[in-house]
Amino acid sequence: MSQPLAVKTENLGRIYKIRNNRKEKQRELLALENVNLEIREGELFGLLGPNGAGKTTLIKILTTLLSPTSGQAWVAGFDVTKQPAEVRKRINMVSGGETSGYGLLTVRENLWMFAQFYGIPSPEANRRIQKLAEIVGIADRLNTKSSDLSTGLRQKMNIIRGFLTDPEVLFLDEPTLGLDVGASRDVRSFIRRWMDENPHRTLLLTTHYMVEAEELCDRVAIINQGRVLACDTPARLKQNLRHEIFFQVWVIAPRLLDDYSFLQIPGVKHFHQFPEEDSLRLEITLEEEAVLSEVINEFAAQSARILRLEKREPTLEDVFVQLVGQRMEEVENVTVSAN
Amino acid sequence: MQKSINLRSFLTASWLGWQIESNWTDPFLFATYSIIKPVAGAAILVLMYSIVTQGNFDSPVFAYLYLGNAFYQYVPAVLTGVSWTIIDDREHYRTLKYIYTAPVNIPFYLFGRAVAKFIVGTFGVVITIAAGVLFLNVPLDWSRVDWPLFLVALFLGVLMLALGGLILAGITLMTARHSYYIGDVVAGGLFLFTGAIFPLEVLPGWLRPVGYILPITYWLELIRRSLVGAVAEAFPTFTALSNGDLLLILAGSSLVFGIASIFIFRYCDHQARERGLIDQTTNY
Amino acid sequence: MSLFPPIEKKRSGWQLFLMTVVGRSYPRVVGMQRERSWMFFDVFLPLLSVAAYVFVYRAIGAPEDYVGFVVVGGAMTAFWMNVLWSMSSQLYWEKEQGNLALYIISPAPMMAILLGMAVGGLFATLLRAIAIIAVGSLIFNVTYAVSSFWQLIAVFSLSMIALYGLGMMSASIFLLLSREAWHLANLAMEPVYLVSGMYFPVKNLGFWAAAAASVIPLTLGLDAMRQLVFASGPTLGFLRVETEIGILIILSIVFVTAARYLLAYIERLAVREGRLTENRR
Repeated sequence: MSQPLAVKTENLGRIYKIRNNRKEKQRELLALENVNLEIREGELFGLLGPNGAGKTTLIKILTTLLSPTSGQAWVAGFDVTKQPAEVRKRINMVSGGETSGYGLLTVRENLWMFAQFYGIPSPEANRRIQKLAEIVGIADRLNTKSSDLSTGLRQKMNIIRGFLTDPEVLFLDEPTLGLDVGASRDVRSFIRRWMDENPHRTLLLTTHYMVEAEELCDRVAIINQGRVLACDTPARLKQNLRHEIFFQVWVIAPRLLDDYSFLQIPGVKHFHQFPEEDSLRLEITLEEEAVLSEVINEFAAQSARILRLEKREPTLEDVFVQLVGQRMEEVENVTVSAN
Repeated sequence: MQKSINLRSFLTASWLGWQIESNWTDPFLFATYSIIKPVAGAAILVLMYSIVTQGNFDSPVFAYLYLGNAFYQYVPAVLTGVSWTIIDDREHYRTLKYIYTAPVNIPFYLFGRAVAKFIVGTFGVVITIAAGVLFLNVPLDWSRVDWPLFLVALFLGVLMLALGGLILAGITLMTARHSYYIGDVVAGGLFLFTGAIFPLEVLPGWLRPVGYILPITYWLELIRRSLVGAVAEAFPTFTALSNGDLLLILAGSSLVFGIASIFIFRYCDHQARERGLIDQTTNY
Repeated sequence: MSLFPPIEKKRSGWQLFLMTVVGRSYPRVVGMQRERSWMFFDVFLPLLSVAAYVFVYRAIGAPEDYVGFVVVGGAMTAFWMNVLWSMSSQLYWEKEQGNLALYIISPAPMMAILLGMAVGGLFATLLRAIAIIAVGSLIFNVTYAVSSFWQLIAVFSLSMIALYGLGMMSASIFLLLSREAWHLANLAMEPVYLVSGMYFPVKNLGFWAAAAASVIPLTLGLDAMRQLVFASGPTLGFLRVETEIGILIILSIVFVTAARYLLAYIERLAVREGRLTENRR
């Protein structure tokens, strides 16, 4: 028997009608198009995509904050548009960088208040707050006013708020946004432990950090411009790239290299360069290893001296590049400049 | 250099304030909104007066309270305009920390932000006075208005109010966001002492000194004298004082008030920074 | 041992409603404890503002009962302010701060959240109303002649139910609004004071205007209360007290029921248009 579905979407779409000012005519912005997803109970599912890809819009729809303009969605078996009350009993959500709660209340009081909205009796709420705070390492700050918390601690408070109500389906929208490496690691290990403990818990995580998706998720959907481009386990997504060879090269060059000449070489699929402190780092994808010699010749032609060259395993970033033709940062930069 | 920073802070903030104040709706609604509030406020007093006196609008008492109330609109407008900016920028737009770290003169920035409320307030004052003259026999004879006195008093008064707003802005830096405009509430409280809608003689003796130390009291008297000298003379409060005396008192008390406001603001500003309150959000 | 044990029993129905009211009122009550400045601004200064209107009546030689009218009107103003600023327009702040989305996705009923905000602010409101009545009565020697204590309690309670029902209705509209909300609340101050007869008997507006103003529960509530506590009240009253009580009962039922449906309707509309989380600033 197949596992029950925690989240299901069918041809889900959302169009925003926007105008920048009162004089301007309304225009339409396509945020989601034809999204079909099935997330099984017990899965830690990742939505991976650049900023503005439609991840947050999808989360808003699934958490009953926004209606789709086409298609349907179910969470824990209930239609998000027609049965929002049933959905709400079973979910919770945490967003990165959120400033929820009240600054004049302490961490404990803020959390207790949210527990009340979920009908958790005070003694149980207080026990859980204490325990969760110990796990995430803010037990000593429970009596601090939330306005006095640093960004990292505040986000830990939000994380507790999400887990406190023991939801069947938990939505985490960029939960490690703005956190330092250590705090992000804590949050990730916390998420894993929560999932491991109960096979009926489901978690939908959106992120634009590849490593996060790779490290945590059972399955990942790659989303760009409102469309799901691929959906599978990280391993299988990467397996599609097994015919390609990935090199990372550090060179010293008088100037940025001319990418066009590299891309002209038959067998070079992708070529990206990143200036570092005193060298250039190059990400190169080849169809076969034999092409490498021609690439090296081209370095010489452009007066670039090789410092280091290494072959590496494909990452989800490579999967994204394969699907979109650009790196995630490049997509984000284009979106920013278009805005 | 310093001068240009002050001027730039003021002008940029004025532009910003006007955008925020006016662009939430279309101009027609904005105008309606700006008219209804002051007219309703004046109508309350007019009805109270008319119920008791059976509509005797020719009495100098009516002109006294009508004009006092009309110009008193500047008090909440400017006090709130200056002080609310702290809350708006700190907790709503969350830009206060950036304003603080920019090369901006904070008091001049706050004054600038109040300009929009001052303009809307002026609109209210003009509408109220026009309604009074047209429909309620407020004895305002344009040819007999002492314009120089009026303009000087108005300028000094608005300056004094802006400095008062600065004190409230300082206090706001150190307090939470409450659900009301602190400027409006303070203006509402001072309404009692400043002889805006009744002569100070009506107050019990022990309350009057409060009125005498507030510059607003002298400002309103000067405005009334410049507009309707005859009405103002009908009340004994300041008969012993000439216009010049009153101007001098207004200027002097504004100066004292101004110096105090700068010190108070600096103190609060220092405290707020020491206690890390510049970027707090205090919603509760 | 499990680090994250499942929750034994989550409450629902009326228990959840009550817990939500308590939960949302808590920040208000505690916030007021921690930020005492409201006592000065929310109780003391409004007292002075009411006194100003008393002295206007004194200045124009009004009968002494009018002083009492102002005191009672000023006290009731506090409740209108509470509805307007602590409930309706508060939703706008909740949206801007990101709390609204969390309220919506929780199983807590929105009416309970709104009630929680109002109840939390009610302490300040009650204190303000009592201070105005007590100090006002003492300083201005207001003499009361209560004709029916029970009717007075009934009128006050009904006015409150209808008023807070109206507040919840208006709050639902605030769900849709952005910055306009703030201005709308601001606009509902003086005009409402005017038409509801906060400072004078509403009868003076003329029958039709007073009848139209009766949609605001304060109007009839105030009128009935004045009739019940002042000697000259009945002669200046708009309608008979019994009639006013009847209308207040109808208003209470209509507003509370309408609030419930309107909130649900507007929430659906806001979800459709994506207005619950937008931050237009």
